[in-house]
Amino acid sequence: MTDTRRMLAEMADPLFAELGASATFERDWSRVEELGLPQLLLPEAEGGFGGNWEDALVVFRLAGFHALSLPLPEAIIATRADAGSEEHFLIGAFMRTAQIAGALDAALGLSVSYVNERQQFGRQLGKFQAVQQSLASFACEAAAANCAAVGAAQALDRGDARFEVAAAKLRANRAVGIGATVAHQVHGAIGFTHEYPLHHLTRSLWKWRSDFGNDSHWSAVLGEAVIAQGADAFWPALVERTDRAA
Amino acid sequence: MQTFVTEAIEWPESAPALRRKVRDLVDAHGEKDPVRRANCWTKADPEFSRKLGEAGLLGMTWPKEYGGHEMSQLERYVVIEELLAAGAPVGAHWIADRQSGPLLLRLGNEELKRRWVPGMARGEIFACIGLSEPNSGSDLASVRTSARRDGDEWVINGQKVWTTGAHVAHMMIALVRSEAGSERQAGLSQFVIPMDAPGVTVKPIIDLTGAHEFNEVFFEDVRLPASALLGEEGNGWKQATAELSLERSGPERYLSSMVLFLELVRYAGKHPDPAVTQLVGRLAAEAWTLRLMSASVAAKLARREDPALEATIVKDLGNSYEHAIPELVQACVEMDMASKDALAAVTGYLLQVSPSFSLRGGTREILKGIIARGLGLR
Repeated sequence: MTDTRRMLAEMADPLFAELGASATFERDWSRVEELGLPQLLLPEAEGGFGGNWEDALVVFRLAGFHALSLPLPEAIIATRADAGSEEHFLIGAFMRTAQIAGALDAALGLSVSYVNERQQFGRQLGKFQAVQQSLASFACEAAAANCAAVGAAQALDRGDARFEVAAAKLRANRAVGIGATVAHQVHGAIGFTHEYPLHHLTRSLWKWRSDFGNDSHWSAVLGEAVIAQGADAFWPALVERTDRAA
Repeated sequence: MQTFVTEAIEWPESAPALRRKVRDLVDAHGEKDPVRRANCWTKADPEFSRKLGEAGLLGMTWPKEYGGHEMSQLERYVVIEELLAAGAPVGAHWIADRQSGPLLLRLGNEELKRRWVPGMARGEIFACIGLSEPNSGSDLASVRTSARRDGDEWVINGQKVWTTGAHVAHMMIALVRSEAGSERQAGLSQFVIPMDAPGVTVKPIIDLTGAHEFNEVFFEDVRLPASALLGEEGNGWKQATAELSLERSGPERYLSSMVLFLELVRYAGKHPDPAVTQLVGRLAAEAWTLRLMSASVAAKLARREDPALEATIVKDLGNSYEHAIPELVQACVEMDMASKDALAAVTGYLLQVSPSFSLRGGTREILKGIIARGLGLR
């Protein structure tokens, strides 16, 4: 991780953790504005932070992780494209991918802590093999969503990222299903209550899965592109996208 | 909690040239039959392996002194992902190049290295791995095959099973119990056993497709010199499990069904159908993600970090993916499974071999246990 990204994380993490799901625009927006976060992607000459998409990933991911109830990610992408444009839809999909990745990691962490504390049948839930296997599947999905988000951010920084963002949003959408299901399953009934924080994460995950392109949207977009390119071109084109950056 | 951290991968500048070299070689000497190109890292073609050796594409990261080419881990990664994506028959040298050669170079004495490694880099010496035994599949700590000291020699007795490629291999690196009466992980050692040593017998196990990939290997008073001990006596468990984590993350863990995916794309081009188009998109997204994850583990290995948890995650997701493809294709496309059509033939073949995907290199349940430990649940 670069110094800029580490610095961003050190700045955003405690603030987002403090504000979290109880933040209100009226009361708390000035806090993120003071840090210059809404201008993250604007060039320094325009009074911005001069960050790139991998920097934005750090902020989006943490906003998802802490279930931040402020439209900060939306404000950040608004500096790059007008709502309704094709570009805005694409970077919006990336933004949601990164938030999904963060929220999945948070839900996984919450689930692991819970099963390590909660006792049933005379031992910790986490000691039951069935519970371990479910959480291992969840961990795999969270890892895939996080890697996909990183891959998409890197592609955006390289240039044309239509393939990568489509693939990443689709992959993250798929991870939501298993992640949210396992998180609620291992929590039992408490996870379904308003007082317990899990729903801040899972209700966002379910919403974000539909935002900026659902599964069938992106699988059709990707499928059409791959088919138009032809079977023999699939692999060479896939690897050329990263080779060129070398 | 973050289980998998990926950073930008510095792909080698030589990547495009290496890819071209592999593609030319596969065009000239590779396998043409789509069924034979699926699951290609189990297809042994010694002639093809020798061609790769001649082209300098085996033992790529090994020291020149032992016939290697002193290239980077990621250059090797580029070559193996090209070979697998093209469905090249790499099975003969696969284990030697991936595991046994590196293991010998890391832990072997001079005599072992000189005897085996240069031939591996030429694509002339092939290896197999003696881990599983009857009643000891994933539970390797229960191996019973024994090594007993007799003067300057070791005497091996016992049996290995599910040994991939033992019938084409020239040597085996076996995990055996070298301390009589020891229990579980203790008292195990690794030995290098020439497959033509007196007392070694190989018996084929024919799989449900009629193919011969696995074997039973019997050892009856096989006498080995003291120098056949690999690494440290009694340290075999640690050595063998470290080797397994190297085995788990490679691109072979998600590319076994790549040929079928490509046949599906070909089919979709001729028979436009929204459901098939969406399946292509979904599988392409997964392939892209898995490539990123697998390469990210390779980059960590190249930096000498230990990505054991990440490697296990890649294997689990990769196996699920390659296992799912034939079933998803069959569910989506109307086909006559008895036809000679490429799509049906490859689907039929992969349906039959895919149960092995989540067995080789540790069953899914064992992998999930390792991931659970990584999460702090065990």
